[in-house]
Amino acid sequence: MHQFIRKVLYQDLQKNNIDKIMRLVRKLNWNDEDVAAYTIKCLTNAHNVKYYNIRCLANLLAGLVAYQEEVGTKVVDGVLEDIRLGMEINLPKYNQRRVAQVKYLGELYNYRMVESADVFKVFYSLITFGVSLDPYVTSPLDPPNHLFRVRLTCVLLETCGTYFSSGSSKKRLDYYLTFLQDYYWYKKSLWGEAFPPTLEHIFKETIMTLRPKLKMCQSYEEAQKEVENIRIALGVENIGHEAKTDEDGLDTIAE
Amino acid sequence: QSQKADKREKPLTKVVIRRLPPTINKETFLNQISPVPPYDYFYLVNGEAALGENSFARAYINFVSPNDVFDFKEKFDNYVFLDHKGNEYAAVVEFAAFQKIPKKRNKVRVDPK
Repeated sequence: MHQFIRKVLYQDLQKNNIDKIMRLVRKLNWNDEDVAAYTIKCLTNAHNVKYYNIRCLANLLAGLVAYQEEVGTKVVDGVLEDIRLGMEINLPKYNQRRVAQVKYLGELYNYRMVESADVFKVFYSLITFGVSLDPYVTSPLDPPNHLFRVRLTCVLLETCGTYFSSGSSKKRLDYYLTFLQDYYWYKKSLWGEAFPPTLEHIFKETIMTLRPKLKMCQSYEEAQKEVENIRIALGVENIGHEAKTDEDGLDTIAE
Repeated sequence: QSQKADKREKPLTKVVIRRLPPTINKETFLNQISPVPPYDYFYLVNGEAALGENSFARAYINFVSPNDVFDFKEKFDNYVFLDHKGNEYAAVVEFAAFQKIPKKRNKVRVDPK
């Protein structure tokens, strides 16, 4: 049975047969605890799907929740946990998996399985969780020479950033991009000349696609200043420079 | 607009207990944390064997009263659970990042398939 579920989801699933696969998945015996748990696990593990088919998995899940509602929330719980655990473990061997999971989250947003607030939580956690912006304090969760979080952020921006284009979510993304540039320039200042040009290119390209008119920061100082401006504008300048500030900032932005 | 505000002000009640022994079962877990304050949603996910030493179980509980959340966290954040081999797992209790829980229906809808 497990083999069947794996085959259907990981090998057969493609853009043109989502309906067919959906019918098969609906036919599974969801009352059987083991089958249900295993299927949910498979629906969560997007890294087992070909990268360009991750969207199909999100599409499938979005259709499935009409019939099996709790599967949706359990899969989302699982994906968020995986992204978080990836940050805590921070081992290169999971990098591919982490890219896939972040991509999946973005697609889940596109299929309206999660709300923009959930996506922003992940956006901010990527640049704050276990992050030390003090060159003398090295955090094991995000050591100065690690650039993987920048890449993950770009993947997520690329996947669903275009939908944050109006109203409060547009504003939220604008604020976020400032914080992100601050993080980026901090990393860049530590790397100096050695900073990989490919990543620089990906980073600029991602932001420019979303906000073609944005004047990007050209130095760490400039990025810091921009962040300070936001803090002042939002009246949160007195709060510490920890992760909490960003969350508080986020709440204010939501107003 | 006011509906939107309601949504935002709703207190967080869904809690996740992370980093549990990967093969812990539901009964054992519930026994260890009993007495549990009233809750209306619970599920446990066992760890993925493929992750080896990074494999952990996690449980989600939605409490009926937001006040119970704090006592629960106080009690079980960093609480050490043991697996059958005696390995120690310090649990992490936090608000679930995703607060949504499935709606309860009076009638269980049967998928006509």
